[in-house]
Amino acid sequence: MSLQIDKTTAQLTVSTAPEISIEHLTFGHADQLLFKDFSFTVAAGQWTCLLGPSGCGKSTLLRMISGSLTQGVAGRIQFSGQPRMRGQAAWMAQKDLLLPWLSVLENVLLGARLRGTLCAGHRQRALELLEAVGLGDHTQALPDSLSGGMRQRAALLRTLMEERPVILMDEPFSALDALTRLKLQNLAARLVKGATVLLVTHDPWEALRIGHRIYIMKERPVRLSRVFLPPGTPPRSPDREEIASMYAQLLAQLVEKRN
Amino acid sequence: MPVPRLGIICIGLILIWQVVVWITQVPPYILPPPKSVVLALMDHGPELLGHAGITLIEILAGLTIGTIFGAGSALLMMISRGTKHWIMPVLVISQAIPVFALAPLLVLWLGYGLSSKIAMAVLIIFFPVTAAFYDGLRSTEPQWLELARVMDAPPHAVLREIRIPAALPALASGLRVATAVAPIGAVVGEWVGSSAGLGFYMLHANARMQIDMMFAALALLSAMALILYFIADAGLRRLIFWQTEQEGTVR
Amino acid sequence: MTLLLWVVLTAGPTSSATASNELNVMLDWFVNPDHAPLFVALEKGFFTERGLKVKFMTPSNPNDPPKLVAAGKVDLAVSYQHQHHLQVDKGLPLVRVATLIATPLNALVVLADGPIRSLADLKGKTIGYSIGGFESVLLKVMLGTQGLSLKDVKLVNINFSLSPSLFTGQTQAVIGAFRNFELNQMDIAGKPGRAFFVEEHGIPPYDELIMVAHRNRVQDEALKLFVEGIEAGVQFLVNHPEESWQLFIRGRDSLDDELNRRAWIDTLPRFALRPGALDHNRYMRFARFLKNQGMIGRIPTLESWAVELGE
Repeated sequence: MSLQIDKTTAQLTVSTAPEISIEHLTFGHADQLLFKDFSFTVAAGQWTCLLGPSGCGKSTLLRMISGSLTQGVAGRIQFSGQPRMRGQAAWMAQKDLLLPWLSVLENVLLGARLRGTLCAGHRQRALELLEAVGLGDHTQALPDSLSGGMRQRAALLRTLMEERPVILMDEPFSALDALTRLKLQNLAARLVKGATVLLVTHDPWEALRIGHRIYIMKERPVRLSRVFLPPGTPPRSPDREEIASMYAQLLAQLVEKRN
Repeated sequence: MPVPRLGIICIGLILIWQVVVWITQVPPYILPPPKSVVLALMDHGPELLGHAGITLIEILAGLTIGTIFGAGSALLMMISRGTKHWIMPVLVISQAIPVFALAPLLVLWLGYGLSSKIAMAVLIIFFPVTAAFYDGLRSTEPQWLELARVMDAPPHAVLREIRIPAALPALASGLRVATAVAPIGAVVGEWVGSSAGLGFYMLHANARMQIDMMFAALALLSAMALILYFIADAGLRRLIFWQTEQEGTVR
Repeated sequence: MTLLLWVVLTAGPTSSATASNELNVMLDWFVNPDHAPLFVALEKGFFTERGLKVKFMTPSNPNDPPKLVAAGKVDLAVSYQHQHHLQVDKGLPLVRVATLIATPLNALVVLADGPIRSLADLKGKTIGYSIGGFESVLLKVMLGTQGLSLKDVKLVNINFSLSPSLFTGQTQAVIGAFRNFELNQMDIAGKPGRAFFVEEHGIPPYDELIMVAHRNRVQDEALKLFVEGIEAGVQFLVNHPEESWQLFIRGRDSLDDELNRRAWIDTLPRFALRPGALDHNRYMRFARFLKNQGMIGRIPTLESWAVELGE
């Protein structure tokens, strides 16, 4: 498995990202199971978007894949046929989770800092990343002095610095205003190429802009809709006709009530 | 430090004091008027300052040792669930027992020198510091912990890099309480057995009916406690450099 | 300090808070054999038969009761003669109206089997005391009889923990120990003590326990009757000591212990047989002594601070 971050474009390129297979997942209260014999495969090296309203279980699924949630979970989650190991996944939450007492640079380097593997090479790479996304003047600043968009940008860089083949994102841009969200979606789509990304969102536009494969999550116990494959390469613009009609379809599926 | 505001408050208090004395005609051997207290302060200045110095040392040493003990206990409870079950009851007892009751015992064990007063101060601040810090350590933002877990951070790194810094504001509030309360421990210790200090001085003055001198000592003690509090507050604010006044929750 | 707050909040021109035949009397300390005549009189009804309703109260700090009398919060207080001189000098409007214990009780106490055989042996030693305002004068004069000064000893305030400090060796002598109590206490603990009586080492004799009232009240009939009640109490005490002990502990079981029983016997010879009587010369002599020692500034006319009631 090899990963590279391009120094000039800051792109993360993953050559052999795994596919995530979820088999016979069962979880929830006995009378109202959230997941019942749920199986699903996340395609390798692609952006898969799970679309669904709040509380439908998408964050829970993400946390089961990251390993944060194991209690009461039955079933099997594997990365390319192997059980989940350390060092494979990176996590990006809705909150930027920047530590307020560390500078922006130190926050971006958080992973290596915590693992005790920080070295000069890391610092160099982080500085280059920060420069590339326009935060070059704020590397020593405290998170408190940054805008929401800048903070989430830094959080994105922190995620990239992990250089992991699987990236799990839990509604990473939903707390931002529309314009900033757009910019960050573009940035994310541009910087991450080749990793297996599972992004959870409630915004159909977001899925259409940056996802390769879109599923709608609904009902309880959870079932997935058929896959939607938007044409073109992300980041996509919404003025293409196919995109617009797919939006209508997604919306229809989202609001559809169980018959 | 809001010095002008502080000055106004002090002058205000002194004025109220004088008015109370005028209106109630309270005899000077119960509440002396501000003027006689100021005179006593000036007449016995060097002697009073000498005693103040002793009490100050007791307070500072008590604060230092008590903080180390308290913060250490909190960390211990955080690291090992087992020790928590042993330390917690001791903590609560240390708070529940009135220090007045323990003072004679401490003096008997540790003698009449500084150590018994320092021990009193330590005892009195043990609970506030430990409880505050432990609370802070326990209530770290769960999403940070989750992020650290996915990053495969070892537990000691999580403690050092996330839990402890995040708990510093809580520790700070415990320390603020401690600076306000430590003087009480030192003075009570002096009342029970000593040969120097402001508490000792106050007892003597009271017995000799030199109430103005007693109040002079009291005024000095109050001033000392105030200054200590402000210095501690300023220091804590610099230590916790990332917190701004309006901040409520972590963004 | 809470006393201070209460008095300030309720302070006003001094006036009696009680009806004319009710007397609130503040003791100097917890009830103990030093108060025998008071309680014998109480139990035998010597106050009620004179139409008085007497209530005894205990303070938390022995320095407080006279201040309460001066502030008009209680009618009478048990005080110490030496303290009375100091308080009068500071302007407290107090008058001594009776004597309870007509000898000094204070003593310098050492371990009986210890190295201190005479006051001269105190050189370089540590002396513990409870703060009463008087101890430095006592020590200065007592040490002076042996050619020593306060600089030759180390003084430590140990509050009321007198004999324990001797037992642990933290002090070699203590002053402020009442001879009828401390010696018995040490005996019971198995480490007997030896006392140097202050009046035998340079201090003029004085009354250890007296009753004080507010200057404005000395004409009150009730006070005169109260002193008569004490007189009857002492009389009964002297005539029937065993029965008096039973009266003392009646309804106060916690007082019935070995220490009090022994202290009772030792205190019996020391009660003022004529509580109301005032020895003018003795009081003035002690006042002059205090003035010479720099403890008081001037000596006002005697009747402004010590009287025989009904004169």
